[in-house]
Amino acid sequence: MKISFNINGRNVKLDVDPMRRLLDVLRDDLELTDIKESCGEGECGACTIILDDKPVTSCILNAVHADGKKILTANGISKTRIGEILLDCFDQTNSVQCGFCFPGFYVTAYHYLITDGEPSLEKIRYALSGNICRCTGYKKIFESVIMACERLQEGS
Amino acid sequence: MKFIKPSSLPDLFDRLQNYEGRKFFLAGGSDINIQIKNRMIRDEPIFYINHLDELRGIQVVDDTVIIGALTSYADIISSPILKEKLPFFRNSLKLFASPLLQSVATIGGNIANSSPTADILPLLLVLDAEVRLLTRSKLRFIPINEFYTGYKEYVMKTNEIIGSVHINIDAEKNWLAYYRKVGSRQSLTIAKLALAGIMKLKENSITAIKIAAGALNEYPRRLTTTENYLKSKRKEDIADKELKEVLTEDITPITDLRSDKNYRFDVCLNLIKEFINSY
Ligand SMILES: Cc1cc2nc3c(=O)[nH]c(=O)nc-3n(C[C@H](O)[C@H](O)[C@H](O)COP(=O)(O)OP(=O)(O)OC[C@H]3O[C@@H](n4cnc5c(N)ncnc54)[C@H](O)[C@@H]3O)c2cc1C
Ligand code: FES
Repeated sequence: MKISFNINGRNVKLDVDPMRRLLDVLRDDLELTDIKESCGEGECGACTIILDDKPVTSCILNAVHADGKKILTANGISKTRIGEILLDCFDQTNSVQCGFCFPGFYVTAYHYLITDGEPSLEKIRYALSGNICRCTGYKKIFESVIMACERLQEGS
Repeated sequence: MKFIKPSSLPDLFDRLQNYEGRKFFLAGGSDINIQIKNRMIRDEPIFYINHLDELRGIQVVDDTVIIGALTSYADIISSPILKEKLPFFRNSLKLFASPLLQSVATIGGNIANSSPTADILPLLLVLDAEVRLLTRSKLRFIPINEFYTGYKEYVMKTNEIIGSVHINIDAEKNWLAYYRKVGSRQSLTIAKLALAGIMKLKENSITAIKIAAGALNEYPRRLTTTENYLKSKRKEDIADKELKEVLTEDITPITDLRSDKNYRFDVCLNLIKEFINSY
């Protein structure tokens, strides 16, 4: 089936099996290896992308779900102003250890920044509750998102 | 696995005629893709429906809130209509999976997948919701109470789809409501047990009560013997021994990966007591 979508600002047209996992299409066909796979069952958030303005886990979606949609991945986000600030905050708080979960957290946190952005620990914990980290722990990750919220509020 | 993408709802019904037997409808995909991974779906036809927007959205018609089958949990949680009219229902669903799943998972998929643990079912049961089933030429309303007949068995036929879910606008008005989902962690957890209850109290007497549990029986259902026992009882007259006896009649707890029968029975009993004593 022919599908087309916009990914990180680029329009693509593909001829794919509509039932193939969206994760595989993005990683294997488009070589977007910033999207990670860990559990493959929607539980860990490593494969998070933004699909039409909502963060979702791409391992439980199919290619057909992307048809006509707009997708943003960690690569695309890192080139935006807010994405750069967020990256810097993750960096400053040393929240990334092995780094495997990081792109997922980064995408979800970016979505929180652009849709809410209140530096509230409670809200951030809830927003990021679909992403799992097994080494750094969550405290530093939450701190980096709070820092990013504050920096954006200060307008820096 | 045969993939079919209908161009419209009428086209879907036309094409459904060409296939006998079991088939799947790809909505959000959060259950189907796990089932494909685990080889529980092999050759059955899969009809994509997620683009059929007439099956999506929340509206009020007369005294009924109508929620389209493709409406996602995120849409439900952010709906001003539900916030105003059915706040108990709406707030309870925040415990569904995680925000990442909430924007994918649809309510029709949750009902049709018919897991005993589906979060929405105890709530729909106490709110006396109805499911609207559609086929090419007719539609019918089934009270959610009568929808399931056994483990993953339901009255919906293989050429029918869930069109929408209907809840009376006053379904929770003037009721004291309770919902608790017990799992091993707060987010991304499949329920070990979920209990929804609504009741009316006059002084200390229960004048009306509805209780439903999920993850307890082979499909979620109302605990009617328990309800009847509790109805018109004064709170202080509820005896532990009697409550246990009636509850035994209502449930045949399942044992699965997550918990065993005895645990589920005890938790259910405790939640019922917590519900009643919280008011
Ligand atoms: C990580 C993870 C966490 C989860 N957490 C929870 C949780 O906390 N609580 C919970 O209850 N569930 C949970 N689930 C299960 C799942 O997300 C829900 O059941 C969801 O609502 C299914 O909706 P869907 O649109 O994704 O369904 P799909 O996967 O698209 O379809 C599921 C089933 O429903 C059928 N179907 C779909 N739409 C219709 C329709 N309109 N008419 C007839 N049949 C239809 C399909 O044929 C299929 O059999 C979780 C799943 C995952 C992967
Ligand atoms: S790999 Fe998709 S959620 Fe874990």
